[in-house]
Amino acid sequence: MGSVEPIAVYVHTPFCPSKCGYCDFNSYAMTGEIVERTVRATVLEIERSPWRGRPAKTVFFGGGTPTFLEAGQLERILLAVVAAHPPVDGAEVTSEANPGTVDIPKFRDMRAMGFDRVSLGAQSFDSSDLLRLGRVHEPGHIGRAVQAARDAGFENLNLDLMFALPGQSMRGWEQNLRLALAMGPEHLSLYCLTIEPNTRYYRYHLKGMLDLPDDEAQVAMYDRAVEACEGAGFRQYEVSNFARPGFESRHNLCYWRAEEYAAYGPGAVGRVGRRRWTNTKHPVRYCEAVEAGAELACEVEDVDDQALRTERLMLGLRLNEGLELDGLAVSESGLSGCVAAGWLTLGEGRATLTPAGRHVLNEVAVRLL
Amino acid sequence: MDQSHIRNFCIIAHIDHGKSTLADRILEKCGLVRGEAQEQMLDTMDLERERGITIKMTAVRLSYRARNGEEYQFNLIDTPGHVDFTYEVSRALYACEGALLVVDATQGVEAQTIANAAMAMNQNLEIIPVINKMDLPHADPEMAREEIENALALDATDAIPCSAKSGMGVEEILEAVVARIPSPKGDPKAPLRALIFDSHFDTYQGAVAYIRVKDGSVKPGDRIQMMSTGKTFDIDEVGVFRPKLERGTELATGEVGFITGAIKTIGDASVGDTVTAASNPAPEPLPGYRQAKPMVFCGLYPTDGDQYNDLRDAIEKLQMNDASISFTMETSAALGFGFRCGFLGLLHMDIARERLEREFGLDLILTAPSVDYIVHMTDGSNQHISNPSEMPDPNHTDFIEEPTVEATIMVPTEYVGVVMTLCQDRRGTYKKTEWPTPNRAIVYYTLPLAEILLDFFDKLKSMTRGYASFDYDLSEYQQSELVKVDILLNGDPVDALSFIVNKQFSYPRGKAIVEQLRKVVPRQQYEVKIQAAIGSRVIAADVIKPFRKNVIAKCYGGDVSRKRKLLDKQKEGKKRMKNIGAIEVPQEAFLSVLKVAE
Repeated sequence: MGSVEPIAVYVHTPFCPSKCGYCDFNSYAMTGEIVERTVRATVLEIERSPWRGRPAKTVFFGGGTPTFLEAGQLERILLAVVAAHPPVDGAEVTSEANPGTVDIPKFRDMRAMGFDRVSLGAQSFDSSDLLRLGRVHEPGHIGRAVQAARDAGFENLNLDLMFALPGQSMRGWEQNLRLALAMGPEHLSLYCLTIEPNTRYYRYHLKGMLDLPDDEAQVAMYDRAVEACEGAGFRQYEVSNFARPGFESRHNLCYWRAEEYAAYGPGAVGRVGRRRWTNTKHPVRYCEAVEAGAELACEVEDVDDQALRTERLMLGLRLNEGLELDGLAVSESGLSGCVAAGWLTLGEGRATLTPAGRHVLNEVAVRLL
Repeated sequence: MDQSHIRNFCIIAHIDHGKSTLADRILEKCGLVRGEAQEQMLDTMDLERERGITIKMTAVRLSYRARNGEEYQFNLIDTPGHVDFTYEVSRALYACEGALLVVDATQGVEAQTIANAAMAMNQNLEIIPVINKMDLPHADPEMAREEIENALALDATDAIPCSAKSGMGVEEILEAVVARIPSPKGDPKAPLRALIFDSHFDTYQGAVAYIRVKDGSVKPGDRIQMMSTGKTFDIDEVGVFRPKLERGTELATGEVGFITGAIKTIGDASVGDTVTAASNPAPEPLPGYRQAKPMVFCGLYPTDGDQYNDLRDAIEKLQMNDASISFTMETSAALGFGFRCGFLGLLHMDIARERLEREFGLDLILTAPSVDYIVHMTDGSNQHISNPSEMPDPNHTDFIEEPTVEATIMVPTEYVGVVMTLCQDRRGTYKKTEWPTPNRAIVYYTLPLAEILLDFFDKLKSMTRGYASFDYDLSEYQQSELVKVDILLNGDPVDALSFIVNKQFSYPRGKAIVEQLRKVVPRQQYEVKIQAAIGSRVIAADVIKPFRKNVIAKCYGGDVSRKRKLLDKQKEGKKRMKNIGAIEVPQEAFLSVLKVAE
């Protein structure tokens, strides 16, 4: 009751111009009045938040495609967040953006309303990759979006890229890395493509229609990415994340350090204390629930000590700062086995994955559990 | 009820021809309420409902007022439908005077119809053909009638068209039961003789024996004797099933019901045994008793070695329910302490495993099933071996014998060729072919029992589009060129994976098993070499490459819960693996031999 502990705040905007083949997020290619209705509902949800009054440590707008919304709509939501969760000094305020749905005026507006970090879903600089992924943007849009963000005054910019795409060669991946680094971002998120159930890619994959690089090739692409980033002055701080010193994503660090996060919008997932909840996913159902003042959560989970331990372990291992072992009661034999295998190093009460160990994080986590 | 108003009958049919639906309809017509809208109420065990087969028979007592105004006592006896349980079926039929033979009006006569009808005819039952599913638009009763006459040599003039679904014809069937099925014979004044045709185990009452009284009568307080063992018991209760158990005062000549009497194990109430009065025993038992004999053996081990005692308790309890299961303790270098268990057949084995896991919460590893071999040593002695890893050194063995079966396979004539090919491939010896009707052939073969343990029945069915019916009787032991194949992981033999095979099949089967293991054993931290070997000679080999990558690329706020559950599952999966040396081997690997019969 009445805690004033700062908290990470996530806002989910579920709309996208179209649905990508690999995407299993809660996103919808919808237009028309449902968009405005959802904005109104989200504002209402934030205004009624039980966590009102807790300052925002970080704010993150994700999606979907937040920039699919009008600047005015983004502003109304952000104002509601700020009113409910006064940001702490120097709070990081990020929005994801699609290179195909932004221009200088929108970025200017966003910068002016208080966003100070932009995460651009670049994915690839190869037009056939983008086409196959189902992205709406073209390679040329990425450079223009970066330029527009810079012109609008964003000094903290991330690019998302994916590797191990269908048909992608090592040479193609290296080319993408070069182009991404040449854009001068402060942060890079480099994700190995994961085939998730309930996606188009999953169905294609089952039919053997995706020519995916094998494990060996994926490992090589990953190692190459680490090498390229470090060579360009980036530091790896998480399995898939690289930043110039001081530009690590503070919002995402909250997740990996198993801290609390409030969350608003359709399908948003939050955890405060032992309660983890997922909001009703479909925008129409979500709006109906907010408007009726009904229960918003479609799933609630009690994160007990056992579950929290597993999460701390699984998330902490992702970080290059390592996993704080104190109070985790990890398996001693698992620990020594992983050290012997060359997957872990120990020091200062922490267990840190080695580059080799980073490829087999799940195996390490299972052995430590 | 006087004997002339009793009718004991069963329903026989090919799978899916509507046996259980018809039984439900008959129960309804006789005023029995359907329990909580449970369709197909005769199948009681969960497992049965899920597998769609009947494992345990049940007898239901019904009252029927016929059109002649008189009240009749019907006893409807259910029968299992799988070759593993042929003997049980024959005993159930022996408890009846008649049978309803259900034939699907859209499918006609099929394999099991023939096998079951033949069994019923052998027992001289009165057979009433019923043509079911008349409600379907493409029902063809004339075709069904013709097939009944041609394939079964039964008069189908009076076959009753019906729809168990809509209820059409059900009353005609009940009237036919009254008019055509004879009332039970038997002498009420003679010493008690009752056939045990099924039994189950009740925690409070002990074994409950389902009996058909042939002569005399039985009531609570009587002292009875089991004629195969001579053991005596005092009857606590007699009663009937309607379909729930209902206590009564007496079971008279011709009646069907149950008895209890502090019978501590099901083995003391063996199916096929004759119950008589201890004070005035019958001179002769009823014919046809046969002790259930396990034919298939496998090792049963707890995945978690700490569960050994739980497993022993569970098998003991299961055996109280099912006397045909045998077990002795054994140890395996790879799997630790466990049991060598014997079963009637593969389905029986599978059901037992499932019950042990489900009802007793155990996590089990089964080793490949084996038959019982007789190994003749050079010193003139011999030994029975049902565990491949115990096979003596070939240098000390003179020759080995394996059990065989006399197989009877009924098929439409156009499939005789494929059936013979299959039997030849499985080392069969051709005996003869008969043609009971122009369209049906019966092919007789002698086959090694080990060969039908694999997927013989499945293969037979798929090769004959389901038309073949298959039955076998255990026959003599025959000498055979058998070898033990060892499976090695990183050079170390794994005793639980050894198998015995005819020499001519050793190469292809060794290769297939190595391949199967490569598929089911997950990648490990280090490379794993898999080899099949006869003695020191390697006959097949493959390699499992070490894993390279096991990491989730993205893990943010909305992913945490799902990824955590994934991790818990991986952890659980690891627990279910058996560590052999440093290698984690999943349960299914031990049954690989079953999956590879070419």
